[in-house]
Amino acid sequence: MRIIVILGRVLDPSGIVVKGSAGRIFVNREEYLIQPADACALEAALRIKDGMAAEVVALPRSPLPDDDILRQAIARGADRAIYLTGPALKAADEAAMTGVLTAAIERLGGADLVLIGSTTLDTGQGQLGLRLAEALGGAQITGAWQVSSADGQVQAVLQRNGRYVAVEADPPVVVTLLPGARKLRYPDGVRLINVYRGVGEVGDALEAWDAADLVDEAALTPLVESRGKEFAPERERGVRASGTPAEMAQAAADALRQRMRR
Amino acid sequence: MDASYLDLLMAQQEEITEEAAGGGGVWVVADVVNGSIAPVTLEGIGAARTLADSLGAYVYGVLLGAGGADLAQTLYQAGADGVRVADDAGLSEFALEPYLHVLADLFEAEQPEVVILAATQQGQELAPRLAQRMGGGLIEHVTAVTLDEATRTVQGAVPIYGGQYFEILACPEARPQFLTIEPGTFPAPFVDSYRKGEPTLLDVEPATPAVRVIGPAEDFEPPPVPLKQAPVIVAAGRQVGGEAGFALVQQLATALGGRVAGDRGARDAGWIEAGQVVDVRGVEVAPEVYVAAGIRGDTFHNAAIEEAGFILAIHPDPHAPIFESADLGLEAEPQDVLPALLEALGD
Repeated sequence: MRIIVILGRVLDPSGIVVKGSAGRIFVNREEYLIQPADACALEAALRIKDGMAAEVVALPRSPLPDDDILRQAIARGADRAIYLTGPALKAADEAAMTGVLTAAIERLGGADLVLIGSTTLDTGQGQLGLRLAEALGGAQITGAWQVSSADGQVQAVLQRNGRYVAVEADPPVVVTLLPGARKLRYPDGVRLINVYRGVGEVGDALEAWDAADLVDEAALTPLVESRGKEFAPERERGVRASGTPAEMAQAAADALRQRMRR
Repeated sequence: MDASYLDLLMAQQEEITEEAAGGGGVWVVADVVNGSIAPVTLEGIGAARTLADSLGAYVYGVLLGAGGADLAQTLYQAGADGVRVADDAGLSEFALEPYLHVLADLFEAEQPEVVILAATQQGQELAPRLAQRMGGGLIEHVTAVTLDEATRTVQGAVPIYGGQYFEILACPEARPQFLTIEPGTFPAPFVDSYRKGEPTLLDVEPATPAVRVIGPAEDFEPPPVPLKQAPVIVAAGRQVGGEAGFALVQQLATALGGRVAGDRGARDAGWIEAGQVVDVRGVEVAPEVYVAAGIRGDTFHNAAIEEAGFILAIHPDPHAPIFESADLGLEAEPQDVLPALLEALGD
């Protein structure tokens, strides 16, 4: 069984401060994490591999300036990782990445299971996995808590209408994992050292592929472009509700509802 | 003018007719919840109406389900110029492939300019598949839209890091432009109860869902969310009102789907464990919503909740420092306010 895990990275939000009044984002500590939901996907892949013969291959969800998170995936137990490079890839959005990843998966010989986080911590975007399902012509299981494989099928646990239900589908399947579904295991010390040194059994586990060898340059043109940033008005603290306890409770309930809808 | 005469006059207004079938238009795919059109769909129709008026285009609603064709009138009343209805037993509940099959065929034929879906399970599953199939661009979780009229491009504001700021995104070249909109972020449109139309019924070819439901996952327990990552926290303090007040805090946490925590006073009272103490010497938190009930708010506690998205404080002392950190403060005994708050949330 070949399992593809799609991994992205995100700037640790605890290291940034957004100042709406200045219209700026201050990065106090530039530290990157594996996207939390993608980390759950990696752990889910490794757990399947723990229980059956499977090959786990890590691919990036977006253009990466370095291959650090892919090395981290190998150190945690992934068999291979493909670092996608090339100048044309730099501006790739989810649609362009779908084309590149589809071509990469085909070059790898296809996939039985593709695992990816259901959403990104920073932008909240969840379209890449589902675009991949469409491009690969496979089934999609969205927002899984748990994923497993048995009898040639892929099984998952989802929450639907307030209940947990078990579902299954025939491969190839794209499963998106919820953030918090799994705690990612720690890297193996020896593998971690070896993957950075390029020696031992993981010495050649990381490969770099040029995106231009996988798809036409035209296919890398992004469909979505950024047209700037907007900042919410400065937060006003110290506002107090007045009236009877019931009136204050109503004001609080309205504020909570409005906030939780977001 | 006599109101009854006005009613008669309005009721005689002609049915809405579509003059430009095929090509363009702003389309809204309806979410149906418990047999009714979801509010977010009406908000989507309102946003579509605004865009379509600037574009000189029509607004179309798409309704999928079984036996709910009457709901089409709700879409007309909210501002749709045309409604397509796919009414089939196989569409009674959302399943990806049957819904995708209907919508992909419809949009291939109609070539919409803009397609709006709700950022719900249904919309979030359908939009990427449709966008990929049709070569369209997709902007997810949009909270506001503007129009670049020169290029007929919709610009969507997308919250980053949970709304700390917004990125303005656009798909200038790709058509259709798909958007998923966040529920509750667009104003509900004026509902004109006199507006009516004749929906077009779509032929539905059956499609089998690729994912099969095996049954309830009886033994499954989701992993506990660490307090540090909990999106909602309800915390109790010394002034919460004893055991009875703490029980109300627990009820509020359940109602909001959140975790129970507290300050050192709550720990000293034996209501919470050491790992639930919110304090820079305990756990620093950054939930979307933090409710402090009976917490006076010393420096260590207030510093630990600095990154919370919204802070509601309930305390009887008007000079309690927690009020300076709170977005909304209630000067009252928690045991007086919490029952009313639970009741108000229940409504």
